[in-house]
Amino acid sequence: MPVQTTLCLATLLLFISGCTDSNGIQGGVTSLEVWAHAGQESERNTLKSQINRYNTEHPDSSVHLTLIPEGSYNAQVQAAAVAGDLPDLLEFDGPFLYAYVWQGRLQPLDELLPKALISDLLPSILQQGSYQDRLWSIGAFDSGLGLYANRSRLVHTGIRIPTLDNPWAVDEFNTILERLVRDDPDGQVLDLKLNYAGEWYTYAFSPLIQSAGGDLVSRRKKVAAKGMLNRSETAAALHTLQHWIEAGWVDPNIDDAAFTTGRVALAMGGHWNYSRYRESLGKDLLLLPLPDFGQGPKTGQGSWSWAITSNCDKPEEAARFLSFLLRPEEVLAMTDANGAVPATISAIDRSPRYQAGGPLRLFVDQLKGGYAVPRPRTPAYPVITAEFQQAFERIRSGSDVQAVLDEAAGVIDLEIEDNRGYPWLFTTEER
Amino acid sequence: MRPQRSRPGMILSYALLSVLALLFLTPVVMMLTGSLKPDERVLTEAGTLAGFIPDQASLQNYTDVFTRTDFLGFLINSLFITSTIVICGLLVNALAAYAFARLHWRGRDLLFNLVLALMILPLEAIAIPLFYGVSLLGLRDTYLAQILPFIANAFSIYLFYSFFIGLPRELEEAARLDGASTLRIFFSIILPNSKPVFASVAILSFLMWWGAYLWPLMVTIGPEVRPLPVAIAAFYTLPPLQWGDILAFGVMMVAPVLLVFLLFQRWFVRGVAASGIKG
Amino acid sequence: MRPVSRLNDQTPSALLLVGPALIGLLLFVLLPFLFALLTAFTNLRLGSPLPLEFVELKQFTRIFNDPAFLQALVNNLLFALVVVPIQTALALGLALLLNQGLRGTAIYRTLFFMPVVFPMSLVAVVWILIYAPGPNGMMNNLLDLLSFGQWQPRDFLRDPLLALPAIMLLSIWQGAGFQMVILLAGLQAIPQELDEAAALDGAGRWQRFLHVTLPQLRNPLIFVMLITTILAFRLFDQVQIMTRGGPNNATTTVMYEMVETVFTRQQVARASAMTVVFFLLVLVVTWLQRRLVRQIREVE
Repeated sequence: MPVQTTLCLATLLLFISGCTDSNGIQGGVTSLEVWAHAGQESERNTLKSQINRYNTEHPDSSVHLTLIPEGSYNAQVQAAAVAGDLPDLLEFDGPFLYAYVWQGRLQPLDELLPKALISDLLPSILQQGSYQDRLWSIGAFDSGLGLYANRSRLVHTGIRIPTLDNPWAVDEFNTILERLVRDDPDGQVLDLKLNYAGEWYTYAFSPLIQSAGGDLVSRRKKVAAKGMLNRSETAAALHTLQHWIEAGWVDPNIDDAAFTTGRVALAMGGHWNYSRYRESLGKDLLLLPLPDFGQGPKTGQGSWSWAITSNCDKPEEAARFLSFLLRPEEVLAMTDANGAVPATISAIDRSPRYQAGGPLRLFVDQLKGGYAVPRPRTPAYPVITAEFQQAFERIRSGSDVQAVLDEAAGVIDLEIEDNRGYPWLFTTEER
Repeated sequence: MRPQRSRPGMILSYALLSVLALLFLTPVVMMLTGSLKPDERVLTEAGTLAGFIPDQASLQNYTDVFTRTDFLGFLINSLFITSTIVICGLLVNALAAYAFARLHWRGRDLLFNLVLALMILPLEAIAIPLFYGVSLLGLRDTYLAQILPFIANAFSIYLFYSFFIGLPRELEEAARLDGASTLRIFFSIILPNSKPVFASVAILSFLMWWGAYLWPLMVTIGPEVRPLPVAIAAFYTLPPLQWGDILAFGVMMVAPVLLVFLLFQRWFVRGVAASGIKG
Repeated sequence: MRPVSRLNDQTPSALLLVGPALIGLLLFVLLPFLFALLTAFTNLRLGSPLPLEFVELKQFTRIFNDPAFLQALVNNLLFALVVVPIQTALALGLALLLNQGLRGTAIYRTLFFMPVVFPMSLVAVVWILIYAPGPNGMMNNLLDLLSFGQWQPRDFLRDPLLALPAIMLLSIWQGAGFQMVILLAGLQAIPQELDEAAALDGAGRWQRFLHVTLPQLRNPLIFVMLITTILAFRLFDQVQIMTRGGPNNATTTVMYEMVETVFTRQQVARASAMTVVFFLLVLVVTWLQRRLVRQIREVE
């Protein structure tokens, strides 16, 4: 009996430990570990088939993909970074870049990627991917944020259709909501995607704040939240949002189908909603700019992007895979799947949705026309967004806006102080 | 037998039991019927009586689960992790408890008091530093990180100890006089006489680790070593949200355990009850 | 205690038997705990390139000035104060009902125990559907039925007043069966003669329950209340899945704050300070329970 048990245990241990190492080069094939977020189904499938294509095209390399749930993505990456356990290529939500760079987790890309590729990228991609005068990350697509609308519902209620040059002003928008509410059986007419929670709050609602003249933090050299996140312009915009929610105009959207089932006439949303919306609404689907809260309409930018980690001992190989993902046909394959704005001009020109006159052209116009504001480019971003998310969560459930913002600003500034203002600790030559 | 109850008393008892049983059962029935329905009808009918009638029942949601997630992989992960913890835990903790209960050695009382003291430290009290340690060692996203820290368990040792201490001494005396080794005595004499406590500890630690969420949430990254409890939470957040699929996932996740529970109910009940007797 | 001398030769084999368990406990329980004790006084962060510093009690003053953490403590206490008595009373009631020797007892026992084998994460996900807002939601519909149409549909998990009670309810649903089984075993261990003697003395059923059953059931009852109290302080799964501590921190807990602190803010030291506070809470509860048991033993 003891012998059997010992044997049993031994094989078990072998099995357990055998599963832990599977890195490096085997039989002349370079293997690349890639982490990406588990997004929409079509997006996941496209990435998988892109990797398959790459692997068949390049028999000397083998790309291995791990999909990680979006909710805990940043935390997982941070924890892996501590152990030096990062993969070769890492995908992350754009604004988390600066913290990774500050911690020394990434390798600069500007000398690894072909010049022609870099000059083909959308300016918003370069803006998001740069820090301390180097380029650290690029995405295959950028994001678009807007207001989807049900055309016949608007026409039925006699509402004018806005454009980027002539958007709905916030007062006009309030009246529109009131009119729609009168025609609506359950009184809920707007979908703010409150079910998304998380990063969505920061991504979607900070443009409204910026349109009102506020922001999350001041964008000067010394980043600070006090005097910006808690200023009256920021509070005013959030008051308006709170009012919509408290008045019962906003569908909580817990089934993620408020717009597709016709429960609401208007839905704030991103490029990733387009395919499903188009499917259920057909010709009735409209894409509109966000309402103007005073300083002109603003929108979000930035999306998932790729970087090569400092762990990677074959950066050229990783860069080759990145360049593959940014080929026009691969960019288009991905953006066809997720509805996103292609990251390269050459792909945009070939995209039926995004070329001039395409149904999603608005997103390109917003990104090129200066309407899109990048999220704060500082290593403090993780705490800024975490605090803002919590603040929004509280505002959404009826807390006093000013008090919540004062508190959040205090926490953010304390965190910046604790990190001594994030001094730049590396010269780029060191890497 | 208890003293006979009056008839109205009996009727009242049955009525109470039945109302409570209905309340306890409702979520389970809703899960089962919902899993057989088209996704979009699950939410709209959840509150109505129609929610409990599986008309147009189909197994579509079940096949969806297999195409949308690696359900079998998660199931195997859960089975492997839980059974390894349980089996290794039985051996390791029973041996330790045996030494504490029946052998005479230096430092025994001191160390046993240490074990008793560690009993009050739940996993939650050490999760953060343990997570940090596992991260430093690069052991995240492995089976090892989900198994190794939980094999030795102070409470299991205590349960075994309480049982072994009550076994009659004579059991071992003869074997010891015959010159049998300690291990031999343990396996051939103690073990066969201690089936109830082994069943108790096995069931308690199974229940604990089969449903464990916090730790695997912290240490798993991708789906390779992800166990079911984390998998269903991840599935719930995986767009598009389809309630039928989620409930089907839930049914399949709980069905094997429910089956084992129904078959070995007596052991389950005894096992749980045993944890409280000593108090 | 017998003298050790003659049997001293057992020390090597004893160490061999105790070894694996002790190493495991030291490495994976004691060591991490000591590590938390130490790091609570530093500024340790996950992945920070800044040097490690000793910061004395700063992390503790920080967490005790953090409204979210204070709310978490309050929520844990509230949860314990509500769930422990209700769940124990429910479990005791069920155990008493099942202890009458009625036909079909086994079936009822199975039903009440069944939720115990449901992993909490599954329970949480399923109950999100039960708490669906709007008039179609199951809980809304049930309350509408029970109040003869007076109930206004609520969004339970988003309602600052209802979110925590909503989580309490499903926790009771999942946990009552476990306690019931322990109490049932306790009831069955009570010598029949005690009850019969009291009945012969003319004691009514209620009196017998108060003066015979309850005192005999003290230890299982205290045990059951202890584990439920500790479970109340460990509350995490339901919160993380259903509400993420919201709305407005109405459902946040010490564990949830601890994990969030490390995961979204990488502040290991601050989370360690929370660990220490958490441990002290558990220690107090356990100590209270031991005192209670001892007092009772002394009285007897």
